Amino acid sequence: MNKYDKALMIFIVVTSVFMYGTLEWFVRSTTSDQVVAVVYYEDREVLRIDMKEDRNYVVDGALGDVFIEVAGGRIRVEKETSPYHLCSIQGWVQYANIPIVCLPNKIVIIIQNGTLNPDDPDVIS
Amino acid sequence: MKHRSSARRLTLMTMLLAMSILLHMVEPALPIPVPGVKLGLANIVGLITLFLFGVKEMITVNVMRVVMASLLRGILFGTGFWLSLSGVLLSTLVTILLYKQNKLSKIGLSVASGAFHGIGQIGALILINNTVMMIYWLPMLWFSSVPTGYVTGTLSVQVLKRLKVTERNRV
Repeated sequence: MNKYDKALMIFIVVTSVFMYGTLEWFVRSTTSDQVVAVVYYEDREVLRIDMKEDRNYVVDGALGDVFIEVAGGRIRVEKETSPYHLCSIQGWVQYANIPIVCLPNKIVIIIQNGTLNPDDPDVIS
Repeated sequence: MKHRSSARRLTLMTMLLAMSILLHMVEPALPIPVPGVKLGLANIVGLITLFLFGVKEMITVNVMRVVMASLLRGILFGTGFWLSLSGVLLSTLVTILLYKQNKLSKIGLSVASGAFHGIGQIGALILINNTVMMIYWLPMLWFSSVPTGYVTGTLSVQVLKRLKVTERNRV
């Protein structure tokens, strides 16, 4: 092994550490672990809600306004115009694998980056 | 060890190709705890071919090895084939360029070959999967080329020493 071999090896080790650090920083800065609820109207994202902030929101549904409430890290449809009011009857949702679907209003609310319901039979822990 | 006869030369090259195919096919069975990292044992034969015969023969043996091993495994023109081929083409090209520079020893050439094999594979992965995030794998492959290249380079040196071949006394 000559001095050029050693220089090459040192170069590779240093650049690999540098590359790893840069990529780690890039991934951390571009991805977020913030829990958000995404509201879709006809598969189109219309609202992104921070689940940490207790607030009320109103979105346009197919049959009228849909009132959404966030409190204590949970989300619900407070009231809406529909024949059976199924999504407001569903009540509070806090798990990422349980969506709220207001079919007559074509509104779907899905929590992202949140925890999963441990009682759900499809969850592998 | 001078072999002027073309039949002998062809036989030797065929034997080297057979050995490289064997190493290429046996290697996935070796237990290495880090996923995606391989020793690159077939690279030993590539280096031996370079020092025994020359540049053109190294390209032939390396490319034929990938084609034949993929054919035998039944993955010709599959994802694994393109990954191997892109890695081998880039690593062979870089090894030849560095060999012409005449600065690195066989161990250095082996390390460089391993490093650029990883880059070629990641490049192919990015193109095939259409996602730049595959580059996340690169630092580990790039880093692992130092120990694996050292091992394969040392083995090549030992084999060439036993074959008593010097760079001036090629086949």
